[in-house]
Amino acid sequence: MAAIETGGGGSGKKAVNQEIPLIPFIDLLLCCVMFLLATAVWNQLAAMNANQQVPGQASTEDAPPEDEKVKLILQIRNSGYVLGSSAGESIDIEKRAVADQKEFDTDELQAKLGQWKQAWDKRDDLIVAPEDGVRYEDVIRAMDIASAAGFINLSMADGAAFL
Amino acid sequence: MAIKRPEPELLHHIPLKFVRDRVSGHGRKAVDHQIPLIPFIDFLIVLVIFLLMSFSASGELIAQQPTITMPDAKNTEQIEISPVVAIDERVITLDGTRVADTQTQGQSAQVDRIEPLIQGLESEKRKWETIHPSEPFAGQVIVQADRNIDFRVVKKVMFSAAAAGYGNVSFAVNQREQ
Repeated sequence: MAAIETGGGGSGKKAVNQEIPLIPFIDLLLCCVMFLLATAVWNQLAAMNANQQVPGQASTEDAPPEDEKVKLILQIRNSGYVLGSSAGESIDIEKRAVADQKEFDTDELQAKLGQWKQAWDKRDDLIVAPEDGVRYEDVIRAMDIASAAGFINLSMADGAAFL
Repeated sequence: MAIKRPEPELLHHIPLKFVRDRVSGHGRKAVDHQIPLIPFIDFLIVLVIFLLMSFSASGELIAQQPTITMPDAKNTEQIEISPVVAIDERVITLDGTRVADTQTQGQSAQVDRIEPLIQGLESEKRKWETIHPSEPFAGQVIVQADRNIDFRVVKKVMFSAAAAGYGNVSFAVNQREQ
């Protein structure tokens, strides 16, 4: 047991030696460890939010400014990405060949979305429209890249509606 | 309790001379040992600090399911309490209750309503509105899907959720370091 010994206490004076109570301190630490182990969260789960876009739906709000009427759309097709807008703009990003199979060109998408964000700097909304047959992981990756580029207000729509 | 000078106490209550000699170490090595508590306390403090750093006040809102490998993402937000629709390679569940088969939903190209899912979500919505009568309904649902699932299945789940009044979807992901 830990103790503080000063060597005094003789010649009729009260001894000043003290024993530090370590056992209650260890009990407290063990309780803390048990509580923290019971409440520990080992996996870091998070979420990517998106609302559902119905194509062609009329807005009930006041008419937005002219540039906000243009819809910015990221289509995820089985052949690759297509960046388009309702103004008629369209940029194809084909899949690239990697070791006998084709993969989505995420680097090119990142670069093009960065350019788009500069061109539409006031906009942070983007409609993500995946096609049937696209893997869920590829959709999430595209949404992650779009969020990183500054399009944080994401909507989901049916890819077939834009074909 | 009185404060006394620390001294060896082990085996002192045994009224035998050879034991007393042995304990006090007369001519031999004493068998009285002190337990080293200070390193033990140091170890516990390090453990407590490590656990405090990984402590999350919000807790675990959704459980990681063994049949689902979620995709990774960097630009994420915190999960909020909502109904959880889990999609693995075999079944679609709503808060642990099976509502449809994944393969059946993946085969049909039409955007079909998943009726048990709509009914379950509508029931959840009614419960929420009963508990929070004065608050607007957020309409948020968490979709926890396996990374290799065809998006057609997720689309049908989203369509059914929208039909039940859940227009905002949170896709559960594993958070990667920024």
